[in-house]
Amino acid sequence: MSTLEYFEVSSTEPVGGALYRRIASTVITDHNLLKVLDKIRIFIDPAVPIFIAVGITRTVPRKITVSDLAGVTYNEQKIILSIADETYLADLLLILWKKYGKDRILQPDRFTIEINSSEENSLETIETLAVADPTESLFKDLIYSLQVICPEGFKVKKQNFHEGRFWFVASENTLPEDVSPLVEEQFRIMEASS
Amino acid sequence: MILVPITYKGGVFRHDEILDLIEDMGGYIIQKHMIAQEVILQALVPKEDIEIIRTVSRPLAGEVKPAPLVGTEIAVVSMSLEIHHLPHASCDVAEYLRTAGAKTNMIGLARGFGKRIGLLSDEERDIINEHDLVIYLFGNFETCIEQKMPTFRRGIRVPIIVCGGPSTEALKKIIDPPVAGYIGNMGRFMHRTKEPEELARLDEVVAEISRVIDQKRISISKDPLSVVPARLMDVILESVPDIHDVTSPIPVVVQMDGVRVKLPYDLYASKIRDIEIESGIHIKDICDLYSSRMRDYILMKVKPFSETGLLV
Repeated sequence: MSTLEYFEVSSTEPVGGALYRRIASTVITDHNLLKVLDKIRIFIDPAVPIFIAVGITRTVPRKITVSDLAGVTYNEQKIILSIADETYLADLLLILWKKYGKDRILQPDRFTIEINSSEENSLETIETLAVADPTESLFKDLIYSLQVICPEGFKVKKQNFHEGRFWFVASENTLPEDVSPLVEEQFRIMEASS
Repeated sequence: MILVPITYKGGVFRHDEILDLIEDMGGYIIQKHMIAQEVILQALVPKEDIEIIRTVSRPLAGEVKPAPLVGTEIAVVSMSLEIHHLPHASCDVAEYLRTAGAKTNMIGLARGFGKRIGLLSDEERDIINEHDLVIYLFGNFETCIEQKMPTFRRGIRVPIIVCGGPSTEALKKIIDPPVAGYIGNMGRFMHRTKEPEELARLDEVVAEISRVIDQKRISISKDPLSVVPARLMDVILESVPDIHDVTSPIPVVVQMDGVRVKLPYDLYASKIRDIEIESGIHIKDICDLYSSRMRDYILMKVKPFSETGLLV
């Protein structure tokens, strides 16, 4: 976990806290969140019971455009995309079908897409066409991994993600209407010690 | 004749000689696994004849090891079947016990998680009671284990072993009245057990279970069973041809004081009751047959000598 600037798991039971630190470390690594997380602090009090996780994400990667994943060439009436990275190919095809229609999109092989288009400005617009937004899945992945880390009986949850700051609160009992004092306290401890 | 549990591991070539040898010396083969070119036998053999098996298996590159848990059926209870508990640690424990010869059944509770909301249903309780021993795989917090333990021991008649994150001493302190066994530093974790210290902890689990199983064996030997369960297994395999059509890997599971037969109770119970074990002695004379809560299997419990006055 050396790449995180701040990583702390504290608990009213130190033995349990240390074990949960290992769990959190495994889950964050398994879900590939090291690249996007900057700071994370988890606090667990099994007597209440409550689980609070607060953290800050790094600068989120920008939107992925066609030029990021394919080489674009123009050949008479056709635009040819030579796919270099297949990760977002399915998303790209869906967007192209919607924009140009299925009859004008051909995929002669796995790594080539041909678009029959006579529009002159298509070449420029297609290069800047947004294919995917990594921030959309980031929040889901982050909250999912915090749900995995938190003790299983803690079924009542509240979470928030705004401008790179996120928090997740869970308990076995009902949560207070306003959890912001709990969250703010953890943010304060995190910011004071980092 | 004292029967000792062993595991034999060797090649497929001429392994039938080992099978014949174990049967000729009056032993019983509880399980036989054939994995690619390898054969693994779990058997009960006479104590004084182990060296003969070693001698015979040496030219076949076979290996004979003591397997303390052969002939036991153990319930490994996970608090749920969610990713929080599976595949680690539940599967790691269950799998490691299998290498020690136990037949383990994993039970994922429907509402086991949580300290206040954790529950054990009557079906779960009855299934656990059909085993020789139960291992509860709890979490990492003392507070939770302490609060939920009374719920999980209510109605359980088999020895309980508790695994949890706190140390063994801490577990002993918080669990009152005491249970049969404790294994500390073995709570919830999300990674595979492959480091030496983690494997050593799994060895501790096997050692603790063996200790509890040995105590149970001693108490059974004070009033011996009317028939050895392994022999009962052999009788059923010989007398009920339909058992060979069962697709389950172990159609007859040997327990410490009985067997589980994986045939429907309604169709086969009366037939099995009337099977003659020896001249004039039928299964119904020395065994109680129950309908198992696990599917519609048959659960047979052997009556002790004090009850039947028979020793087959």
